Amino acid sequence: MARFVLTRLLQSLAALAILSVVVFVLARATGDPLHLILPMSASEEDYANARKYLGLDRPYVEQYVSFVGRALTGDFGTSLRARRPVGELIAQRLPNSLRLAAFAMAVSLLLAFPLGVLAAVWKGTGIDRAAQVIAVLGQSLPTFWVAIVLIEVVAGRLQWLPAGGISGPASYVLPGFTLGWFVVAGMMRLLRSGMLEVLDSEYVKLARVKGVVESRVVWVHALKNALIPVVTFAGIYFSILVTTAIVVETVFAWPGLGRLAYEAISSRDFPVIQAVVLTTAAIVAVVNLSVDCVYAFIDPRIRYVR
Amino acid sequence: MSAEPGGAVATSAQAAPARPRAAVRGRRLPRVSLTIIGVFVVAALFANVLSPADPEEQALRQRFTPPMWDERGTWNHVLGTDRLGRDLLSRIIWGSRVSLTAGVLTVLLASVVGAGVGLVAGYYGGRVDTVLMRATDATMSFPVILLALILAVTIGPSFVNVVIAIAVILWARFARVIRGQVLTLMELDFITQARIAGASAWRIILRHLFPNTLNTLVVLTTLQVGYVIIVEASLSFLGAGIPPPTPAWGSMISEGRDFVTSAWWVSFFPGLAILLVVLAFNLLGDWLRDTLDPKLRQL
Amino acid sequence: MRLSIGFLAALLSVVILTGPVAAQSKPDLTVALSSFSTEVLDPVLGGHVVKYYMSLMFDYLVGVTPDGQLSKDSGLATRWEPSADHKRWTFHLRKGVKFHTGEDATSEDVKFSLQRAIGKRSTTGYAGPLRTLIADIETPAPDRVVIVTKEPTLIIPTYLSRSLSTEGMILPKKYIEATGDDAFAQKPVGSGPYRFVEQVTGSHIKLAAVDSHWRAGVPRFKTITFKLVPEETTRIALLRRGEVDITDVSRERVKELERESFPIHFRREEAILTTWWVLPRDGQPTKDKRVREALNLAIDRNEIAQSIFGGYADPAYVPMGLSWAYRDIGFKPTQDMQYPYDPARAKKLLAEAGFASGFPLTMHAYQLPGLPEGKAFAEAMAGYWQKVGVQPKLVPVDYPAFRKNWFDRATPGAFGYYNVANRDWIGAYAFLEKQAYTKSKASDTVNDPEIDGMIEQVMRQTDKEKIATLMRNVYTRLRSEHYGVPVVYLHSPYAASKTLGKWNPGTVMYDFFLDELASSKR
Repeated sequence: MARFVLTRLLQSLAALAILSVVVFVLARATGDPLHLILPMSASEEDYANARKYLGLDRPYVEQYVSFVGRALTGDFGTSLRARRPVGELIAQRLPNSLRLAAFAMAVSLLLAFPLGVLAAVWKGTGIDRAAQVIAVLGQSLPTFWVAIVLIEVVAGRLQWLPAGGISGPASYVLPGFTLGWFVVAGMMRLLRSGMLEVLDSEYVKLARVKGVVESRVVWVHALKNALIPVVTFAGIYFSILVTTAIVVETVFAWPGLGRLAYEAISSRDFPVIQAVVLTTAAIVAVVNLSVDCVYAFIDPRIRYVR
Repeated sequence: MSAEPGGAVATSAQAAPARPRAAVRGRRLPRVSLTIIGVFVVAALFANVLSPADPEEQALRQRFTPPMWDERGTWNHVLGTDRLGRDLLSRIIWGSRVSLTAGVLTVLLASVVGAGVGLVAGYYGGRVDTVLMRATDATMSFPVILLALILAVTIGPSFVNVVIAIAVILWARFARVIRGQVLTLMELDFITQARIAGASAWRIILRHLFPNTLNTLVVLTTLQVGYVIIVEASLSFLGAGIPPPTPAWGSMISEGRDFVTSAWWVSFFPGLAILLVVLAFNLLGDWLRDTLDPKLRQL
Repeated sequence: MRLSIGFLAALLSVVILTGPVAAQSKPDLTVALSSFSTEVLDPVLGGHVVKYYMSLMFDYLVGVTPDGQLSKDSGLATRWEPSADHKRWTFHLRKGVKFHTGEDATSEDVKFSLQRAIGKRSTTGYAGPLRTLIADIETPAPDRVVIVTKEPTLIIPTYLSRSLSTEGMILPKKYIEATGDDAFAQKPVGSGPYRFVEQVTGSHIKLAAVDSHWRAGVPRFKTITFKLVPEETTRIALLRRGEVDITDVSRERVKELERESFPIHFRREEAILTTWWVLPRDGQPTKDKRVREALNLAIDRNEIAQSIFGGYADPAYVPMGLSWAYRDIGFKPTQDMQYPYDPARAKKLLAEAGFASGFPLTMHAYQLPGLPEGKAFAEAMAGYWQKVGVQPKLVPVDYPAFRKNWFDRATPGAFGYYNVANRDWIGAYAFLEKQAYTKSKASDTVNDPEIDGMIEQVMRQTDKEKIATLMRNVYTRLRSEHYGVPVVYLHSPYAASKTLGKWNPGTVMYDFFLDELASSKR
């Protein structure tokens, strides 16, 4: 087991390294940040000065090496736009994204559970259909539209909840729901089919024969077993939530990582672009690694790659 | 949108016994889904005939005309007009061509590449598998939207850029799932027999492995079309989607988003179109999965 | 099952307990803006620093009234006078102005700030002209500064005033020399009525009132917070909920808010939406004056003003015509300067020029701060030009990408636009010097030797009358040669909460005069 974890860890690091090159190239391909930093009247000399001051005049390989070297010590450089350490920007924003993703996770679990259980227990009936439609609805509407409609109606007109920014628990509700609804369908599906399989199994039939009350069969035995894949996928969904939150963050003026990435791309802020992509990749890698380890723990066959 | 399992192998502690799925929700075709998809496909194919007006013709003085049943509406513009006075119904009809093509093209591209990678990785195993899977992991950890944004900012937004940006990340999803399937298949007797009999790698992959993954591919493909259409909409919102004046549902919703309560129709009708199409594809995908291979519950 | 509920509860409590909670203390002022530009709080960095929050933290050497007139009451300088040859400008400073760290502001600080503003690190808009102009800065006394210029000039007081950019902001020399530039940018210290409290980039900037200020008395608001909220619907929802007191809104939603009795403050003619074609003109259809005129006649300015800009715009007829400057230079656009909407004549002119069947035209489409209608506007222009035979090709980009194209001259003849902030005559001159002057190279859009000559003369003039005449002639020629398509003057709406009271946002570039709003001396 330990060898499995170690090899996967090394491979993840290798993947991150490749990604760092890719994102370095991509970031620089976006254009010249100096056009935005310098005023229109800047002369050639001004550009040369600024380039030198920002370290953009060194050869690319040197820039890359210095970037990696410093990254390994935790220094991600300085934002060209905000003139602050990139690490500080990420440290400010990452917790907000994580918290929002956690809340969205909670919301989607809260929705997926009853829907999935209902759909499984009443399989094939209208209830099953209805539950599926409600879940899939979350996947079938563009996120920004859901967000804007909710803001306009719930926050603006009805004024039940805050409209944007972070300002306390209530401000998590609308963005969390918008973000979470998107993954409800996937989780509900898992729960439903997991429960269906278990409800069909010998184990449950035995319980029924033994006279266990039906509701106990459903809620205790079936659900417990169906939860395993859901819990393992919760981790993956979490990383999906963190990386796709950019739209929700923009609409709700949520100061998170996604929004930071958008601003960085718009202003061609290379260090920030690189750092954000690598951070999200690292988060996803950590989550994938954990999930793979859990899988390997449960099913030893996976540990042995042919 | 689907999960990324480490491998599509059965994970429950007690594997369900194989039973004939006679009790499945009937082999009744999902008529509603197919009808909806059919309607929009027809709209896409015959847009030039069905559309009442030129979708790109502006008439600034008629901007924000409500749908015809409103007292300020007219028969000329059944669903009203948008911000530049263009007929909404025409734009939705033409938009089905753009959005459906984008969705289907992207998914086909991603599935071909992804299935190829998954088949090769699963068959050869060892180093090949490791390298390919790590590449897959690296790809999947790059947020789609960010890549599309970077492309849009570098080369400029276009239909092609949207397709490429999404396909470049989406293939990884296919690769993972197909590889998992192949891993399971490789343990089956008939594959071992074929190898013993000396069949070449390509023959085994194409003749034996691939057909058995077809079910999965069909399900996954159907489910991803809706996802791509939704992502395009989000990209339009961020300015990286299919550019104007091409009518695409995503950018239509985005253009009307400041008027959700005043000129609600501008966002509502393209939103309804996306909702119906994506819902139809998702439910169709669900049905396909239930029918073809219920074990694919991870999708 | 209980496990899952427990898990959920734990998740939720982690979220709630670790998240920040809003402080509830009135009276505070909260302003929501759709963009913050560069968000760097050092006045010397960032090309066009948006002064909304900067003017609260810092004082200027020369103050202005809300309608842009230089004022002896609201700047550090109580009076100023040039020498006879206009090469030595003496500023007399008021006493008792303290920085947030407690030190007095003296001529040493003025000299330091100015040197910093024109130093190598500076990226302010007008550092360039000041650099070439200023020869020396003398500090004969703690309350007197003399600026020595290489050439005679009139522009020094205005360039160092609030009416333009940030070059005139007074910074604390001791503090910056002690803590360094980077620390200063993160924790700026000035002498304005509000001091810096905190900044979360991409989210908000928070300032707190000083106890008493020479300009604003005892400030009325305990804190002023600027929130960055890019999405329009969200800003309006925040206003409705009372979470913000002031927000910029798009013209298209003004009527909706007026119906709900929200006061809307307009900065009238805040910007001119002016357009141009990327140089060089050689080999392009726009080389021919008739083509340029035709493109001007082919658009319906009134319709654009009424529809796309909701009626909150007025037609503009002079390219780059910054109307707040007209009064100063005595320029009055005449009746025949007004382009009629005449597509028929436009087609005729195109045919005469040899383009009866039109020509392809690349049109960049992008949004800008203060111009959310940018893309719709570009599409509308394309529509008009299509009707006279041009084949427009819309290229949606973001502004940095267009600017790159423009400066690199990658697509000659391509169409671009900007909502240029309106300003007084010196600012207008500075703008012309950037965009209508061949020697400005990349940013030039005109390339006309006659105009070049006139602009050069302005630079060397000290006679106000002669300057006014030259500038009038520049505008007249810009119009007669059709160097670009001026479209409309934009009125910018700012919605306020119903309890805000009287507020004059002023007519100064990138400034709201919130310090006037917060002043107890009103």
